[in-house]
Amino acid sequence: MSGTRAPLRYLILIGAGFVMLYPLLWMLGGAFKPNAEIFQSIGLFPAHPTLEGFTRGWRTGTEFSFATYLANTFRIVIPKVILTVVSSVLVAYGFTRFNVRGSRVLFALLIATVLLPKSVLLIPQYLMFREFGWLDTFLPLYVPSAFATDGFFVFMLVQFLRSVPPEMEEAAVMDGCNSFQVLVHVVLPVILPAVISVALFQFMWTMNDFLGPLIYVSSVEHYPAALALKLSIDVTESTAWNEILAMSTIALLPSVLVFFLAQKYFVEGATAGSVKG
Amino acid sequence: MSSRVSRRWFLGALPATVLARRAIGQAPVELRMSWWGGNDVHGALLATLRKFEARYPHIRVKGEYTGWVGHLERLTTQIAGRTAPDLMQVNWNWLVLFSRDGRGFQDLGTLTDRVDLGQFDDDALATCTMAGRVNALPVAMTARLFYFNASTFARARLTLPRSWDELFAAGPEFRRRLGDGFFPLDLIFPDAVALCRAWIVQRSGLPLIDERNRRLNASAADLHEFAEVYHRLVQSHVIPTARERASYGNVQQQEMRPWIDGRYAGTYMWTSAVGKSADTLSAGQQVALAPYPLRPEAKDAGLLYRPAMTFAINARTAHPDESARLLDFLLNDPDAVLAMGLRRGLPASRKAVGILRERGLVRGLALEAAEQIAALPNCVRESPYYEHARVRDGFNDILELLAYGRIDVAEAGRRLGEDIPAILERSIRT
Repeated sequence: MSGTRAPLRYLILIGAGFVMLYPLLWMLGGAFKPNAEIFQSIGLFPAHPTLEGFTRGWRTGTEFSFATYLANTFRIVIPKVILTVVSSVLVAYGFTRFNVRGSRVLFALLIATVLLPKSVLLIPQYLMFREFGWLDTFLPLYVPSAFATDGFFVFMLVQFLRSVPPEMEEAAVMDGCNSFQVLVHVVLPVILPAVISVALFQFMWTMNDFLGPLIYVSSVEHYPAALALKLSIDVTESTAWNEILAMSTIALLPSVLVFFLAQKYFVEGATAGSVKG
Repeated sequence: MSSRVSRRWFLGALPATVLARRAIGQAPVELRMSWWGGNDVHGALLATLRKFEARYPHIRVKGEYTGWVGHLERLTTQIAGRTAPDLMQVNWNWLVLFSRDGRGFQDLGTLTDRVDLGQFDDDALATCTMAGRVNALPVAMTARLFYFNASTFARARLTLPRSWDELFAAGPEFRRRLGDGFFPLDLIFPDAVALCRAWIVQRSGLPLIDERNRRLNASAADLHEFAEVYHRLVQSHVIPTARERASYGNVQQQEMRPWIDGRYAGTYMWTSAVGKSADTLSAGQQVALAPYPLRPEAKDAGLLYRPAMTFAINARTAHPDESARLLDFLLNDPDAVLAMGLRRGLPASRKAVGILRERGLVRGLALEAAEQIAALPNCVRESPYYEHARVRDGFNDILELLAYGRIDVAEAGRRLGEDIPAILERSIRT
């Protein structure tokens, strides 16, 4: 019975998957189309395939090639992901395993920052970084992450840690571990899936962040890819979409690659805490 | 002895060094300039900046450019943080956001030895003057005009409409001769608001927005008519219904399939931006400028004549002189003018137009548009608050409700009279 149903189920799933992936596939196809063809055909396959989008897009309409912008992206993403992971794990560990007076209030405050709209902080933070002399550098984009400012990640890790029984840690303390050793040798291996989820989320969000670099980075040579992709889109000029699609495809590759490499852990981490084990 | 030699050396060397300094140039200056644009504009402006640096070797200019999206947010933080560039491209309606009292930008009237203001019409300068101070210079002046797809009109065996009546009559003809999917005009909501505004302004001869009293220069009957014009355009098949437009997705007008293949055969477009509409048409089709429709009693064409964009100098710049020199170079120098060409519409500077004309570069739609604007009654200067984001959204929302049949014409007219002045009260701060 189930044997006859399985093909049907797969057919439906493949169909739905195809619909969901269609925009992505269309982007890939569009990257190889001449610009005029993009608006006129909804089909995936270019009628007159060309690499023009890639060559011209890579050169960009600016003084720098797209390689500069991709490199800038990584100069932001890599430190930010590392700082986020380290700081969020430490803070989450502190909230779940230590009874500090007022920690409930502090945790509530942390959650409140998640709900605070980012635009409210824009100008005060800008003024602060100006006083630090950090404008037009990458520092405002990743240094705040060293202080566990992404409340969402701390919250995620706290939820995960709460579901981990403390017995193992108690045993480690009996064996002479200090609290930092407990974190590194006992807790971290257990919460690794959640840590990888944090890293992945931060990686993808930072790759796509537009407003942060837009505000803090004023020199074109420091623009990351997310900003560079919109450099050629104006209201009075027609846009070379094939170049933008081609460069979007390239800019997407690192995310796709990292996601596939970490997929196993990511799925585990994202659903963590949903069923208490 | 040695002291005598050194004194002689000193006396001889002093004038020599002064001369040398003058020859080499003044102390080096670095300017920052920001703008938004597309690839073409970036390329042209960067090339112009290099030429400026060659002309003034002691000045270096750093271009800080972006696309259109986010530019206002970026400029707002920079101005609030006092880190704005020395020279910046500013949209006309942003002047009221950053410089209500005219002190937000340098008063160019004090820098006339560096910038040649005489190349600009008083009219154009007036649009950039805040509280008596010339805050900016227009790169180009623009207005909304009617452009049609001449190929589709030829297929329908119709001439381009020359009056409102002919425009309204073209709708049924299009349906009869070409089919239900063909329309003589396509309007997105801001275009529709502008068209209805023109209808009202043609009779009243006053700006729609009364900035001083924070209300509309329109009676309840006028506003009823405002809504009715939109309703009539849809009813008589002049423009597609909002529902039909929405079925093509949320893409820019010039990238919509019916525009590309000629089924939507017209646009009420800025003269400075019509190039993008002409660019995307499929092969063999032509965009043509139509005569501007005037009501019989029209006192003014209701053109929304305004700067397409402006350049302004930071009020806090450390180098007002050099910035002004760069501003003048960008707008009046042959090198800069020829590099930009008509990419941003016909330049507002008389000298620039002369340079382009001399080389036979002023032609086509840009020339026709300039001639049409010059020939029309064009005295009304709309308030920049007409383009304030909240006011614009207010108008759009009401027309959208009407377009989707949520409210009728009478209700739309009533809401225009109540909601818009309420928005103006909040938006116009004195």
